[in-house]
Amino acid sequence: MWRIWLLFDPRRVLVALSVFLFTLALLIHFILLSTDRFNWLEGAHHGATAAQMAPLPPTAK
Amino acid sequence: MAVTPGGPTISGLTEAEAKEFHGIFITSFIVFTVIAIIAHFLAWQWRPWLPGPNGYATSWLTDAPGLISHAISTLV
Repeated sequence: MWRIWLLFDPRRVLVALSVFLFTLALLIHFILLSTDRFNWLEGAHHGATAAQMAPLPPTAK
Repeated sequence: MAVTPGGPTISGLTEAEAKEFHGIFITSFIVFTVIAIIAHFLAWQWRPWLPGPNGYATSWLTDAPGLISHAISTLV
């Protein structure tokens, strides 16, 4: 198995692996944040859209 | 630079260097995997991500007996 490093340059493998794993981790974390169940920062957004679409209160003149 | 018995390699590493790097790589991989397993265990404890047939109230792994009885009651 160690003979793989005779074929592939360890430096390039490490850089490629780091970039791939970091991108994958970033993607998975953003996907989780976009869900209701697994958003660990704000929790579920029940009725958040309705609140955003509600009309503004009338302004006093 | 040490001479490789089989001549120059594609990556430019000698066999000794390849073996040394392989040891470091495998150790790092095992450490990374263990940390990932711990993280997944904690995340599953927080919120399982595989819902049972009745939604997240029942899970495939945490409520196996309930799941089996539910399957049997569905079949019978």
